[in-house]
Amino acid sequence: MDWERDGSRYLSSIMDIGELLLVHGAEVNRVEDTISRLCGAYGFVRSDVFTITSSIVASAMAPDGTTITQTRRIKDRDTDLGKVELVNGLSRRICENPVSAEMIQEEIRAIRDMKSISEGMKLGMYMLISSSLSVFFGGSWLDGLAAAVSGMVLYGMLRQSAAMKLNGIVQTMMCSAVTALAVSLLVRLGIGTHPDKIMIGNIMLVIPGIQLTNSLRDMINGDMISGLLNMSEALLKAVSVAMGFAVILLVGGGG
Amino acid sequence: MSFYVIQTIMGILGSIGFSILFGVTDRKLLWISLGSGAGWVVYLVCVAGGYGMFVGLFAASLFVAVVSEVLARILKTPVILMLVPMLIPEIPGGDLYYTMYYLVQRQYVEFGNSSNQVLVEAGAIALGIILASYVAKFIRSFRLHMPGMFQRGKKEGIAGN
Repeated sequence: MDWERDGSRYLSSIMDIGELLLVHGAEVNRVEDTISRLCGAYGFVRSDVFTITSSIVASAMAPDGTTITQTRRIKDRDTDLGKVELVNGLSRRICENPVSAEMIQEEIRAIRDMKSISEGMKLGMYMLISSSLSVFFGGSWLDGLAAAVSGMVLYGMLRQSAAMKLNGIVQTMMCSAVTALAVSLLVRLGIGTHPDKIMIGNIMLVIPGIQLTNSLRDMINGDMISGLLNMSEALLKAVSVAMGFAVILLVGGGG
Repeated sequence: MSFYVIQTIMGILGSIGFSILFGVTDRKLLWISLGSGAGWVVYLVCVAGGYGMFVGLFAASLFVAVVSEVLARILKTPVILMLVPMLIPEIPGGDLYYTMYYLVQRQYVEFGNSSNQVLVEAGAIALGIILASYVAKFIRSFRLHMPGMFQRGKKEGIAGN
């Protein structure tokens, strides 16, 4: 193989695989592991991969001494574990049987273009999650119903504000403010009795509980930078949710 | 008692909701719902046995993590795909809400208490997950380096080197 020419093409495809994994919510560990395994499968004699939640840097050395370094910046993340599974399967297959860079690109494109679940289904899941978790945390059945309605409002807001491409923090704040408003209106109308339980059901959808747990796991695992990044992002998000709710609580006095 | 049954069922529904939202839509949903329900039962049993919240969450997340490590190997899928949805009932969403609520209401003593609580809970969960993943890694490397003690796996070629 002509490493000068082909090496960077292969590494770029490998980076695409790593990027897909990271964007769709795989752990930092797995991304680093996958990239170095793939580099090994394609005959690179040495690979150094450094991944944090917002970027991937990988250097690979070819047998003739050529060293290639590539970087990817990850801006938006969107958890889709189904795709993580597909990419994982792809990288396993490639490790067993290294295919050409064009074939990898084709497979990556197929995974990228795959439709995730429909909007209606997403809305349904928002309603299901809010209502079931609000009952889970001690709400009554009526609270569950109210949570389903306000979950619908939350979903609509999230979609709308995502379309407007707002800054993440502002978006979270606005969405939680509108959701809190909807909850307090619902309680005034007599649907639901415990506004706190209703809001907890909704909050589980915006709040970074999973992220907080993951960040601690990263840190215990030794991935300090990823852990700190995730944790500060989670804390900032929690504060912005709190500020959104605060507006309504201070004005309406409910909650 | 009946509240706990309802709570467990609701926790399972929440797990199913999150797994569909995260793009898991096939037969794994069944396993995820069983694992998440069993995990919450472990927590409830620990708390009923008087071990407190920390031990309860630790035991529950350890259980869930072990189950998802095993299932991931059987079903040939990434561990995280089983683990994240199964862990939904243990996520301290309620306490996180009250922490923010107290902060907004300027009740700083309660705020301190509940933020402490949230960190302890998240720490217990993370510890359980880590422990399970290290046990899995340990077993794997044990098999790799002492192939005679277990049945010979796929990687015997590497162990010979």
